[in-house]
Amino acid sequence: MSGRRQLGIDFSRRVARQATEPAPDAPRVWSVSALNRAARHSLERRFPEVWVSGEVANWTRARSGHRYFTLRDDEAQLRAVMWARDAARLPTDPLEGMKVRAFGSLTIYAARGSYQIAVRRLEGEGEEGLWRLAFERTRAALEADGLLDPGRKRPVPRYPASVGIVTSLGGAALHDILTVIRRRAPWTRVVVRGSRVQGEGAAGEIADGVRTLGASGEVEVLIVGRGGGSIEDLWAFNEEIVARAIADSPVPVISAVGHEVDVTLSDLVADLRAPTPSAAGERAVEDGSVLAEVLLRTRQRLELGLRAQVSRRRERLRDGSLRARRAIEGLLAPLGTGLEHRSARLERAVSELFAARRAKLAAVAGQIEALSPLGTLRRGYAVPLDRRARVMRTASEFRAGEPFVLRVVDGRIHCETLRVQEEADR
Amino acid sequence: MSERPGGPAPEEGSRESGEELTLEARLRRLEEIVTALEAGDVELERGLHLFEEGIRHIRTSERLISRAELRVEELTGEEEGTRTEPLGTDARQ
Repeated sequence: MSGRRQLGIDFSRRVARQATEPAPDAPRVWSVSALNRAARHSLERRFPEVWVSGEVANWTRARSGHRYFTLRDDEAQLRAVMWARDAARLPTDPLEGMKVRAFGSLTIYAARGSYQIAVRRLEGEGEEGLWRLAFERTRAALEADGLLDPGRKRPVPRYPASVGIVTSLGGAALHDILTVIRRRAPWTRVVVRGSRVQGEGAAGEIADGVRTLGASGEVEVLIVGRGGGSIEDLWAFNEEIVARAIADSPVPVISAVGHEVDVTLSDLVADLRAPTPSAAGERAVEDGSVLAEVLLRTRQRLELGLRAQVSRRRERLRDGSLRARRAIEGLLAPLGTGLEHRSARLERAVSELFAARRAKLAAVAGQIEALSPLGTLRRGYAVPLDRRARVMRTASEFRAGEPFVLRVVDGRIHCETLRVQEEADR
Repeated sequence: MSERPGGPAPEEGSRESGEELTLEARLRRLEEIVTALEAGDVELERGLHLFEEGIRHIRTSERLISRAELRVEELTGEEEGTRTEPLGTDARQ
């Protein structure tokens, strides 16, 4: 009995000693936690960053936003997890069986003792992979709602006096658009809504900008866009909320995203797609010289139109007067010569009536003449116009060596200023 | 803001006073007037009336486009509470 107790004491003492200070020759015994922890450390140290390719299987999206899946090839599989923060950057979830490349670090999930890769980046194999898939998915959703129907596209105004822009306030795109509008149509009022154009939250800000500026009643047309970048940089313009905000805009939208080759879903739903931000500026506003020419021509057409009305009426008056006289003669002839004096009175009355109408016509013609620059030109005057077709009124508007156009009644003469001499007393 | 294509018939003279018309609307109205005058018979009084209205639109338009300084504003705020203010010079260069 006492011997057994002795033995027991010896045994427990031995175990206690082994746990704290193991004999150099004795095998080490780990706790499960410690072993998993140690294995995890060495795995993480050995594979801190690794690319692995394989097919996606069992893709699951947890409510927390984390994604759990398996990567596999013909012979093996690897558990994978993508934490919500990393998964938020995915353009879309991959399809089952899709070939992908995953970047991340190997680790061990200690609670289950399973080895897995924590994926930070996931790309589809091949050209654009997941981006293409996301693009096609959203495109299909927009198409199903009829938002890509060409019949939905509204005409963009030709001569807007106010233009809205949704883009980054510090970006090259804004600079380019403003430069073009300032050159072509400096009378324009531009209202800008700043927004981030790439990265997390950009799509929400762009969509909000389009909605707010569109609904503000401040602008007649909207430009939405940004300068060039990678497909990832441009991605916000492929997001469904942006495309839907553009489609819902109460004013026509011109999209201008990246370079000519980049076509985004924003481009597809917009009323007009400009290949670059500068081109969007050109499409948004007409050049001042064209507009000045339109106004000049309209003024001429107005005058000619009214003149034609007047001369048509004058002719008819002449015909009318003649017909009336003949009718009177026809009426009176059978009644004999005794009525001569009555006929004369009647004719006088008719003449007076027509004379009054003729005077009125002359007055109208006079008013046209007074309002008409053509009338002035016809009298031998000429009007110098600058390259924007604006009238040059003072000597200070001329520069030696610079061209200008001299508008005369039947055409334009292209001239160059030789020397400018201002009158001293003016 | 944008009107249906075609717009009001030239017979309606009610919009001619509108000082608040957009340039776009003014040019559309001008086209209507010119078309009416070119097309054929209008009452002389009315023709003169249309002509004067047209000249007014042209003068207002010319005055508008003679403004040489681009105005750039920023829209701030949300929904009902939006307002515009001149945009900082850094983005305007």
